[in-house]
This record gives sequence, structure tokens and C-alpha cells, in this order.
Amino acid sequence: MAQAIQTLPRERIAPRIKRERWTPGRRREAIAAYLFLAPFLFFFLIFVVRAVIQGVNVSFYDWNVLAKSHDWIGLKNFEALLSDPLWWTSLRNTAIFAVLTVGGTTIVALTAALAVNQPIRARDFFRIVFYAPGVLSVGVVGIIWNWMLDREFGVVNYGLSLFGISKVSWLSSADLVLPSLSLVTIWWGFGFPMLLFLAGMQAIPEQIYEAARIDGANARRMFFNITLPLLRPTLLFVTVTQFIAQFQVFGQPLFITNGGPGQASTTVIMYLYQQAVRYLHAGYASAIAIGLAIIMITLTLLQFIFIGRRGESN
Amino acid sequence: MLATRTSPFKNVGLYAFLIIMTLIVGFPLLLMVGESFMHSNEIIRWPPIVVPQEPTFENFQKMFSQQDLQLPRWLFNSVFVAAAYSFAVITVCSLAAYAFARLRFPGRTILFGLFLATIMIPSQVTLIPNYLLMRDIKFLDTYNALIWPGVANVFGVFLLRQFFMGIPRELEEAAIMDGATRFGVYWRVVLPLSTNALIALGIYVFLNNYNDLLWPLLVTSRLEMRTIPAGLQVLNGAFGTLDRGLVLAAATFASVPVLIVYIIFQRRILKGITMTGMGGQ
Repeated sequence: MAQAIQTLPRERIAPRIKRERWTPGRRREAIAAYLFLAPFLFFFLIFVVRAVIQGVNVSFYDWNVLAKSHDWIGLKNFEALLSDPLWWTSLRNTAIFAVLTVGGTTIVALTAALAVNQPIRARDFFRIVFYAPGVLSVGVVGIIWNWMLDREFGVVNYGLSLFGISKVSWLSSADLVLPSLSLVTIWWGFGFPMLLFLAGMQAIPEQIYEAARIDGANARRMFFNITLPLLRPTLLFVTVTQFIAQFQVFGQPLFITNGGPGQASTTVIMYLYQQAVRYLHAGYASAIAIGLAIIMITLTLLQFIFIGRRGESN
Repeated sequence: MLATRTSPFKNVGLYAFLIIMTLIVGFPLLLMVGESFMHSNEIIRWPPIVVPQEPTFENFQKMFSQQDLQLPRWLFNSVFVAAAYSFAVITVCSLAAYAFARLRFPGRTILFGLFLATIMIPSQVTLIPNYLLMRDIKFLDTYNALIWPGVANVFGVFLLRQFFMGIPRELEEAAIMDGATRFGVYWRVVLPLSTNALIALGIYVFLNNYNDLLWPLLVTSRLEMRTIPAGLQVLNGAFGTLDRGLVLAAATFASVPVLIVYIIFQRRILKGITMTGMGGQ
């Protein structure tokens, strides 16, 4: 998305076209263009444009999936949402999970990229290993970690017992369950941002480091004064896309905790899924989706403004 | 000079860090594979072991004989659907991307802006309307429901447009001088020069579709139409904590083929993933 915004000004030349003559050649080009676009537009109009419009529409109805007709109830779904404690709980859980996961993933990915970027033996091996969990299905990840974090027989608690730490309720304590799911997610997903940071680091010219070395800069200063500032576009891209992805978390709580203990790890998408599938409340589920969309779009824009500004002031 | 003297010591720390990371990342996978070959009493042994003392296929036998578990079928569904989906995305998006990269037409700016704006809308907004549509046109429990709804991939258009704009125009102009049509230019000049970008996008959308959970859970209910993630959900719900060996065997069965493909094509996959992540640069 960072790239999307950078390239927008290129499009500003387009209005010039309007003033040009409408020649047969230009008409043929326009027809060709729409033929090239036709398949995409077909799917886009049906599954995106129509779906978004209907999604908003459904949220104004008391829409049961199985019923033949549906009552228009205006903003009632949204009013109910605002006073629904489970909505607020799920939103709080999702926000905590997203912040922990985005922060953790960024730090682990950046550290791993720094380590793998050194002139060492077997760097390809480490790169391959670190990305490997990323190709696993969320179901596999959930099954492995539900077992590893088991309170009685889990390997993690066994490992801790070697250091004299008594059994930890990773998944059955309301306070620990979100950090636990977050750790699992960092394990699963840090490989992708690591690859992006690596590519970003390799794009930094070696001369800059040489110049700094001549000036007597140590590794720490070079990292904070050269690497980090020059990685800012990648950092922005990673945090924004990670935030969007983690806010939509669904599979990890579904597989590992089923939203428990109580509702301590029920996320917004899980709640949406329960409303739509278990209770067949399509109208209310749509209202949840739109509420989530509004929050996510706002946060994304804020993130752009916040990180973008800080970049300018440097 | 100081820097060179401290470097061997620094490298020891570096290797220690990398090896610990490798263990943290790799150990869970080894444990999963190891325990899927264990009897249930070995799985819950304390202290835990990774290598089975008396290896057994009983978990896998149980998995294949259970009526409500169809892992080979789920694996086939997942691979087939993800492959068909990737092929459709590459075709549809590359055609649209060519129009945006090279052709001038009224509505170009507005359309591209509209496409980019929809990236901001989380896919859950379209979930229920698309489910209702699938139900009304009788696509539930078919491959159609799993393949078509996500084909209009705006990111794919954006990525390929960036790449196509980097191809020298002279090559295309030469083809037009030789009498090639617009489609001929796209098919014979632009696509062959873009295989790297097309493969990168293909890998990226393949993995996304292969790992999708929410949509397959909604649109499939018959066991034989489940994909791996949706099927594992059924399995996990039924046996989750009751039969660890069975569940771990299923997880092993679902992930070992993927990991083997990953290791064989790692260079291509890592390059492709990086390229898509960077927006085609």
C-alpha cells in the first residue's frame, strides 16, 4: 500500500486526455482497453461492488439466513452493537492481540533480518528455516501449539520446569491467553516481514556504511542512524499490512482456544462467525463487519498520517 | 582495527542467536512429526520425547479408516482449488493490468482509484453477501464457490501493472510495427517478459488461498468438499484433546507435502514472496 500512494501522482496526467480529439485510433484503443478489463470488471462488480453495497444494505435488516422475508429495522443493529458487551469484549481482545502481535512480529523480524544479513555461513539455510512456518495452514499451527502449550503435558511447561518454573496456564488463564496466541502468531508469521526487511537492507548502498565506518561509527550507531531510517518505507508497509492482517485474526483462537476461557480470546471475526453461522443473524453479522471496517480504515489512515509525519520531521 | 578484533567474538553471539532461533522455529515441527508416530502413552510421557521409542503407524491407520476424516480428499481439494484460483487470478489480473499500464481510455483514473480504495475495505464486509449469493445460485459445496469469489484481486492488478510499466515500450512498438494486435503484444511480448512477476503473484495467491479458513468453512458443509484448513477444524473440534496422536498425524499429513514442495522450490518461493511484498520491485 505504501507503493500505491507513491504512484498515485503519475495518474494526474490523465485529465489531459479529455482535451484531445476523439480519433478513430483512440476509440479503438478505448474499446481494446475495456475488452482487456472485462473479465476483471465482471468479477469485481459481482463479488466486490455488489457485495459491499448488499453488505451495507443487509445491516439495516433483521435478516435471518433461513427466512424468506426480512424486516427493515434501520439502525437497530448498530444500536444493539453499541450496547453489546460481547462486541466490546471481542474488540478489546482483538486490539490487544493486534498490538502485541504487530509489535512482536516487527521486532523479531527485524532482528532476524539483521542476523541473516551478516556475512555468515549458511545464511540461506537460516532464511529457509525462518520462513518455513509461514507455509503451514493455520489448522496445523493451531494443532501443534494447542498441544505444546498444554498445561499438564505440554513441552513448553516441561522446558520451563527444567529452570524451576512451575506450570503456567498459557491457554486457560484469561490474562495469558492473548499473549500466548500472539506468541504463536509471531512464530507462524515473522518470516514474511523478515524477507521484506532483508530486501530493504540489501537495497542500502554499502558506501554509506563505509563512510560511517571511516568516521568511526560503531555497529549500534550505524543501525540507528543508517539502517533504521532508510528502512522506514518498509517499516511503514510492514506495520500497516500486519495491523490489517492481525485485526482479522480468526483461525488461531478458533483452533487453539475456541474463544476461551470464557470470552477471553473471542475476536471480532470469531464473534461475526458465531452470529452468522450459529445464530444465522446475517443482519447483525453485517453490522459487525461494517463496524470493524470503519475501525480498521480509521486506524490505517491514522497510522499513515502518524508514521508519515514522523518521517518528514527527521 | 578495533572492529576486526571484536568480530570473532561477535560472530559467536550471532551464531548462538541464529541456532536458538532455528530450534524455536524447527522444534515444534519435529515434535509434531515425531509424536504422530507414537502410541498415546508415549505422547503423554513426562519428560516428553521427540523420537518415538516404538514407532507405530496406528495414528495414520486410524486417520484413514475414520469415516468422517477424508484427509487425502481434503488435500486434493485444497491443492486443486488453490491452483485453479491462482491460474484465474493471473489471467484476469494480467489482462486488466496491461490495460492500466499501456492503454489510454476514459475512466482509467476513476477505475484505478476505485480499485485501490477497495483494498482498504476488509474482506469480511463482502463475506455474508457473497455467501448469500453462493447459496442463491446453488454454488454451496462446489469448487465454484471456493474458486471464483476472490478472483478480482486488486493487489494482483496493482503488482502486475507496476511490473508491466517497467518493460521497455520499444519492444512493444516493434511488435506493433510487425503487425501484432494489442492482444498479440500482451500475449507474445509482455507475458513472456513477465514470467518472474507472474510466478511470484501465483505463489503468493496460492498460499493465501490454500490457507484460507473462514470462507471454506462458510461455503462447504459436506465433508468431501472441505479444504485442509476447514477439514482440520472439523477434526480438531471432534478429537482436539481426546486423541492427540490422531490430530497430530492429521497435521503431519497436511503439512509434510507442503514443506517438501517448499524446500524443493525455496529459492523461487522466497524470491516470489519478497517480490510481491515489495510491490513488484
